[in-house]
Amino acid sequence: MSTNDTEAGGLTEVDIEAAEAATEFVTFTIAGQLFGIHVLKVQDVLGSMKTTRVPLAPPEIAGSLNLRGRIVTAIDVRLRLGLPQESQEVSMAIVVEHEHELYSLLVDQVGEVLALAPDGFERNPPTLDPRFRDYSDGIYRLDKQLLVVLSVERLLDYGRVAA
Amino acid sequence: MDDLLSEFLTETNEGLGVLDVELVKLEQNPNDPELLSNIFRLMHTIKGTCGFLGLPRLESVAHSGENILGRVRDGELEVTAEAVSLILECLDRIREILAVLEATESEPAGDDSELISRLDACAEGRSAGSAPAASADSTEEAPAEAVATEEAETAEVSSDEEAAAAETVVAAAETEEMTDAPDTGEAEAGEPDHGELVAAEAEEVSSENVVNLAEAASPAAQPDAPAAAKPAAQPTGEAAAPKESSVANQSIRVNVELLENLMTMVSELVLTRNQLLQILRSQKETEFAAPLQRLNHVVSELQEGVMKTRMQPIGNAWAKLPRIIRDLANELGKKIDLKMKGADTELDRQVLDLIKDPLTHMVRNSADHGLETPAERRRSGKPETGTVLLDAYHEGGHIIIEIADDGKGLNSQAIKRKAISNGIASEAEMESLSDQQIMQFIFKPGFSTAEKVTSVSGRGVGMDVVRTNIERIGGTIELSSVAGKGTKFTIKIPLTLAIVSALIVECASERFAIPQISVIELVRTSSRSENQIERIKDTPVLRLRNRLLPLVSLRELLRLDGFGLPEPEAEKDDHFIVVAQVGTYTFGIIVDRVFDTEEIVVKPVAPILRDIQLFSGNTILGDGSVVMILDPNGIASQTGEINVTDAHGDTAEQRLQRREDEVALLVFRSGDDSPKAVPLALVARLEEIDLSQVEDSNGQHVVQYRGVLMPLVSMEADRKLAEEGRQPVLVFSDRGRSMGLVVDDIVDIVEGRLNVELTSDRLGYVGSAVVGGKATDIIDAGYFLTQAFRDWFDVDTHESFGEGAANRVLLVDDSPFFRNLLAPLLTTAGYDVTSVEGAQEALNLCEAGRDFDIIVSDIEMPGMNGFELAEQIRANRWADTPIVALTSHASPRDIARGRAVGFRDYVAKLDRDALLTSLQDTLSDHRGAA
Repeated sequence: MSTNDTEAGGLTEVDIEAAEAATEFVTFTIAGQLFGIHVLKVQDVLGSMKTTRVPLAPPEIAGSLNLRGRIVTAIDVRLRLGLPQESQEVSMAIVVEHEHELYSLLVDQVGEVLALAPDGFERNPPTLDPRFRDYSDGIYRLDKQLLVVLSVERLLDYGRVAA
Repeated sequence: MDDLLSEFLTETNEGLGVLDVELVKLEQNPNDPELLSNIFRLMHTIKGTCGFLGLPRLESVAHSGENILGRVRDGELEVTAEAVSLILECLDRIREILAVLEATESEPAGDDSELISRLDACAEGRSAGSAPAASADSTEEAPAEAVATEEAETAEVSSDEEAAAAETVVAAAETEEMTDAPDTGEAEAGEPDHGELVAAEAEEVSSENVVNLAEAASPAAQPDAPAAAKPAAQPTGEAAAPKESSVANQSIRVNVELLENLMTMVSELVLTRNQLLQILRSQKETEFAAPLQRLNHVVSELQEGVMKTRMQPIGNAWAKLPRIIRDLANELGKKIDLKMKGADTELDRQVLDLIKDPLTHMVRNSADHGLETPAERRRSGKPETGTVLLDAYHEGGHIIIEIADDGKGLNSQAIKRKAISNGIASEAEMESLSDQQIMQFIFKPGFSTAEKVTSVSGRGVGMDVVRTNIERIGGTIELSSVAGKGTKFTIKIPLTLAIVSALIVECASERFAIPQISVIELVRTSSRSENQIERIKDTPVLRLRNRLLPLVSLRELLRLDGFGLPEPEAEKDDHFIVVAQVGTYTFGIIVDRVFDTEEIVVKPVAPILRDIQLFSGNTILGDGSVVMILDPNGIASQTGEINVTDAHGDTAEQRLQRREDEVALLVFRSGDDSPKAVPLALVARLEEIDLSQVEDSNGQHVVQYRGVLMPLVSMEADRKLAEEGRQPVLVFSDRGRSMGLVVDDIVDIVEGRLNVELTSDRLGYVGSAVVGGKATDIIDAGYFLTQAFRDWFDVDTHESFGEGAANRVLLVDDSPFFRNLLAPLLTTAGYDVTSVEGAQEALNLCEAGRDFDIIVSDIEMPGMNGFELAEQIRANRWADTPIVALTSHASPRDIARGRAVGFRDYVAKLDRDALLTSLQDTLSDHRGAA
């Protein structure tokens, strides 16, 4: 099965080899790029939800939604990363908590949870797009593609960017 | 039953339950110091609370029991079965007394001296001496102990002993706090170690919730109470068998987290219910209808009940204040009357917790620093008893808490000296500051105005901490102080977390909530109805009962145009206006639709969105959708009206100053190209008249307008009106008569400072001012009024001044504009007007021997303000001359202050009618009195 699984092709070997040292990531794609968020940061994965838009908010704020009685701010990660907007009907969201507030990160597609061994990890190449460099903790070399580790803290730290 | 008493019964019964268990444990394990000190603390609490509530019998029994425990704890006494039995017996006696207390609300008569003497004997280690007594007791002990252990098993609400212990520690912390407060003056809990303290805090919070929980359930619970209490009372006479307290059973301690979880689950339930109802609506006939309706009701009630558990009356935070004030009064030798209003104003538990300490501190401050000693008060002619007033109420979507005292007021000189000596500001800086600004220094760290540090306040934990705490929850604190009259702090806490009633509106297919509290009325407009939105240039306005109401388009304000579906053209002119009021400013918000009002729980917005001033929070509506809550304050300040919200670094006075200076002016053209302006407030309506309707009558152009003839007046004497077409006209209305001022076109409405720089001799002009960056002629509306009706102002003259001699009016106003506007007006009304530009000039006139029948004074003036002028006048030759205050912002607070310093009346500057009426009334009152 591992041979014809294109998304995570060949990863199973890594899984077995480095199961102990491995870190688990929830993966997702935006504009074809594979990203990962540390699995412990993720509270929930949502499908499309009824979202209230917030006038006058920065463009990447997609709105607010009600998740089991808590108000969650939805952030279009695509716009936050400076990627062009793309009208896509079905989008998925990953709910994370940051400083006691819940945020729903809108992404194109949520993939599976991968356990990645530290030896595949590399720091951001200095030539990386500044926005990506800002929000990325580093890169994992997977067999067929690269996974950008998204830093929830920095992605949502609006105070720092404004300052 | 008294809240305090029932709380005491609950806590003591819990404490007794735990004690039973712990004592038995101690007997088996006599060398556990932790256990022992816990027991000691529990006993101490019971004793302390009894003393606090004035229950001498209970107190003395508990005291003797505590003595033994104290000696055991100090290692002076061995833990023996005998001692433990004796203490258990002591507990049983306490329980007996409690049972009666619960039934009758008073301590039963009875003699405990025998038990006490045995307890004391034991405490002194004389167990040998009292051996016979002890052995005689042992027969009783056995059943007592049996009961006790049995009790221990049943009384354990939770089997988790640790939790139970933690709970009673709370009781300890709480009561120690109460009893210790007078000694230390600080609301610090006893000395439980850190872990316990945390537990104590958590539990304290939940114990407060308990009250509400009990209330929520009260319809069911209350009728039971007497019934339950009676059977409990009966056996006490016959047998000493301890009974479960029914009061204790009425409330339970619940972890706050549990409540929060409940709340979340209820929200989920509401959502599911709504989905079900949605489905139900699409199904015509179904047997689910009835049960679903039932479910609907139950869920609504459940939601309400759970919500209630979060809300608490602010009185809870005040409960300790009367005691604190009483002790303070004793300690400081002052007579203090603490008045509390609005104690039932409900606040979210969390907010309540956070403001509790700042409030206590401020009340203490008012009593300590603010109020004078009786002797001082007598000297300054005040009643000996000083008053501290606490007032809480909802306003404009905020909770306002006022703490006012009628003491000596803040001493700005002392603050100045202190600030300079503490190096907070230099002398030069201080010189340029007004008194109000100087007073703000008390909010700086390290400030205390008390000349000497008392045990009560002045230890450096001052107003800066208070301010920080209040600002932390997004509140503001303001201060106003009048020397000799008192100081008032106004705390404004945002409605964050509080439940408010809100109006749900829609604009561009998005829904928003507007706090109901700032909504005055709703107006529906359409091109077909009487109410329609008109535009002056691009500014929308609405005629509402002879006034022009400035309008704000929510669509434009929130830039909603890109949002949602474009509005169908036909509906475009069908709008709703939400008339909102912020302070004294009234404006309309244009929305597409208005739904219902709904009770909402305000939640703070995510930090990312916090700088959008137009929202005060967001909330989840009954149907589960999230909506933003509009902040009328924010809207008002964003749309031009003077800064109503608290801009950073602005003192209250600066804000007043701005409000004072800014006037809405209607700018128009007539005759030549130079813009002309008139204060908008003087204009009743803007009309376009059909020139073919203009008739000539008595040498004047007139037009039939609303069933009466309205004369038309031109600014230029030789102006010829065209025969055809439409002509814009400014309508001035007064006492059922209207006059139309013919103008070429209406340019704009400008909010701005009005500073008449060039005065004019031309008839009909007040002078010139810079309006919207252009030199503009300010017209004298009064002049044109008399052009239309020569007797426009004469009505007053004839009615009130038949006596012949004109009344002499002294007009004090620093603004040349108003002097120039009002002086002719008053002159035409038959007064002999003298106008001066400041308080000092007015006083000079007084010294020069001039006399006036009435004084009309502005409030906000550079140098000496109107209040100070009034005070000065009260003390000089003019003391008998009535004074009327003239202001453009008459808040109730100002009015109260004005009355206090001797103003007879308060009149809005631009309200000509009110001014004339007031002058007339004041004069006739004055004559009548004289």
